Amino acid sequence: MKTIALYSIKGGVGKTAAAVNLSYLSSLLSPPALICDLDPQGASSYYFRITASKKFNSDKFLKGNKKIYRNIKATDYPNLDMLPSDFSYRNLDIELAEEKKPQKKLKKNLEELSDDYRFIFLDCPPNLTLLSESVFAASDLILVPLIPTTLSMRTFTQLKEFFESNKLDSSKIRPFFSMVEKQKKLHRDILEEFSNTPGFLSQTIPYNSEVEKMGIYRSPLNAVLPNSPASKAYRSLWDEVKAQLELPGENHAG
Amino acid sequence: MLANPKTLSFRLNHTVSLEALTERIVLTGFKLEVVSSSTERREFYDTFEWQAFGKRLVIVKKQKTLFLIDLNTGQQITSVPFSNNSASFFFDALPRSAVREKLSTCSNIRAFSRLCTLDTISCFYRILDDNRKTIATLTSESLCLSEKKSQGAFLHLFALSPLRGYEEETALITEALSTLDEVATVLDFRAQFLLIMRKAEHRVQGYSAKIMLTLNPDAPIHESARQLLQFTCSVMQLNEGGIKKDIDSEFLHDYRVAIRRTRSVMKQLKGVFDSSETTCFLNFFSELGKRTNELRDQDVYLLRKESYFNYLPPFLQPSLNPFFRNIEASRKPLHKQFCHYLSSNNYQSSLKEWEVFIKQEALPEVEQAPNASRSTKEVAVESIKKSWKKVILHGRQISKATTDEELHALRIDCKKLRYLLEFFSSIFPSETITLVIQQLKELQDNLGDFVDFAVQLRFLHEQLATMAEEKLLAASMGGLMTTLFQKQEAARLKFHKTFSSFDHEETSQLFHDLLTDTQT
Ligand SMILES: Nc1ncnc2c1ncn2[C@@H]1O[C@H](COP(=O)(O)OP(=O)(O)OP(=O)(O)O)[C@@H](O)[C@H]1O
Ligand SMILES: [Mg+2]
Repeated sequence: MKTIALYSIKGGVGKTAAAVNLSYLSSLLSPPALICDLDPQGASSYYFRITASKKFNSDKFLKGNKKIYRNIKATDYPNLDMLPSDFSYRNLDIELAEEKKPQKKLKKNLEELSDDYRFIFLDCPPNLTLLSESVFAASDLILVPLIPTTLSMRTFTQLKEFFESNKLDSSKIRPFFSMVEKQKKLHRDILEEFSNTPGFLSQTIPYNSEVEKMGIYRSPLNAVLPNSPASKAYRSLWDEVKAQLELPGENHAG
Repeated sequence: MLANPKTLSFRLNHTVSLEALTERIVLTGFKLEVVSSSTERREFYDTFEWQAFGKRLVIVKKQKTLFLIDLNTGQQITSVPFSNNSASFFFDALPRSAVREKLSTCSNIRAFSRLCTLDTISCFYRILDDNRKTIATLTSESLCLSEKKSQGAFLHLFALSPLRGYEEETALITEALSTLDEVATVLDFRAQFLLIMRKAEHRVQGYSAKIMLTLNPDAPIHESARQLLQFTCSVMQLNEGGIKKDIDSEFLHDYRVAIRRTRSVMKQLKGVFDSSETTCFLNFFSELGKRTNELRDQDVYLLRKESYFNYLPPFLQPSLNPFFRNIEASRKPLHKQFCHYLSSNNYQSSLKEWEVFIKQEALPEVEQAPNASRSTKEVAVESIKKSWKKVILHGRQISKATTDEELHALRIDCKKLRYLLEFFSSIFPSETITLVIQQLKELQDNLGDFVDFAVQLRFLHEQLATMAEEKLLAASMGGLMTTLFQKQEAARLKFHKTFSSFDHEETSQLFHDLLTDTQT
């Protein structure tokens, strides 16, 4: 089992869009997969039309094991399950602070699912809290979508500094450019500047208005419009991510 | 580990429409959406004696593939491509495969005939909540017989599978459905198969040529004999169809055995029927038997085709082909002629009269049939004793030379004894009677081999005379005759040994046990 986080300090950069489509692609190409919605806003849960059952909350999430098992729901796609978020997740970091080893808690809870899934995707909320630290420890790869703008690049620098000062393993971090508009000079310049930076994924996700329509389809874009430019980009991105995890290559599909 | 949600399988009684079911689901507030539907045609096969079923196998053909299914689990065991479209086939029509292997163990001489053709319509639905999120899937399967399409589906099967995490929502649906009286528990595969066969008007394992009578030892022998004769008569009638359609050789074989049993028992049970009434029936059966002799001979040669080829060195094998072609050619008109006779008024009315005769319950007049009212047990013991003594007596008289005639005659005595034992077997302790029949069978096998080889030799010799100019064929026949002669001589040599083990204290003791214990 490999755990992949979609994370950034900055909001609205395409974390959820990537988490939904990459988890869908992995369920097709290297099943089975689980997507955990860690954001109390529940955007990815919404895309899959799933709401957590009334009995589920952040407390149960932290308890793990059976409490988690009982709240995992099948999506409409075979081999793709979801652990939906609950609004109570907004207090996750406070509750985490009360745990003995808060940074290790998430990792421990997810390890219990290692026989059930080949990939677990974490769709994270945009901030840097104790929950984020727990995510960093639990992940094999941390995918960071970056909009090619100066502001976005600044928050990425903040993230790297945080890793350094806290002596975290920054080799897990894999930034990639998201919502890229090639017609914008600034985007082109920034892409150019970082094209050979080690750790950056070479595949970028173009700005594509179809991605916004996922809110209407309430399905992964790759399931509805597999040939849209963004879908193709997500597919290549998944190939690249999988190669980073040193997994044997698999045939294209979906 | 995560547990998988359990699928609920059920069926609807055939009187109910699918709409009743979907209505119930909609009433729970969930929506039902059709995803896809498909149709499939399945053809079921088995031999006349249900030999695949007997081995817990179901043979199904779908499109151009033949599947073997485990009767108890419904699991597919193996499959093989098979594009033959005829109504019946022999195992060796299949390509070499596990299916062919399995079918050959069911029967290597009986044909597998199509029992029925089933059309299934499968529908796949999703059950959606308010967010149009799938909470469960529903698959339905409607079965109808293609030969009775107008009657519509006779079975509706459903499987409701909750998606993980939606067990509670699905339970609401299950609950709603459970209030429908038309919902019944699901049938296992075996029960399903039996239902399909019943709908197709087949009685599974409804045929066996083996005698399976349960006689009352105290009943008058007249009644027991009629029981047997009714059984053999039904065997004849059941096989007529297969003979006419020329499905396989066993239809005629069983038909002939039934005739022989009929005659043999009638002749051995003296004074049970009014002979002035039975003479003409006996003549009819004797005639009937004779009419099929030649046809059966040809069948037997065709059945021996493979072993004949195997007797010969490979270089002599191909030249034997004309021999079998000749047999096939001469068999055709014989078959046609006999079928013609089976359909004739003459035959039909004779058999009808016979049926009426063996159904008459009233005992015949004492003067004409003095033994009719004696108990079955008494007559059984007496007639078996007589028949057995005859075998022993005749067997002991057979000379050192062991001539063909002597062995022929003894073979017939043995057959008579065998028919009596089988007829009366239900009134004897099954262990003893089984042993006795086993002992007798060994002797019969020896004599049977001997006579068969002799008959084959004579037949081949006659054939040779008519086509001597074909040198290679002659050589093949020569090869065959040499082998057959050796086999016949081996059987002859074995006779005295086999007979003395039959005429042995142990076997005698068995017969004594059989015939004395039951008299008490
Ligand atoms: N490649 C893209 N092209 C066009 N629109 C996109 C693209 N990726 C994401 N969007 C849109 O941008 C908005 C934010 O995207 P998304 O929700 O995936 O980002 P996020 O990082 O998860 O946001 P948040 O931090 O609020 O969780 C959404 O409306 C989404 O439809
Ligand atoms: Mg998001």
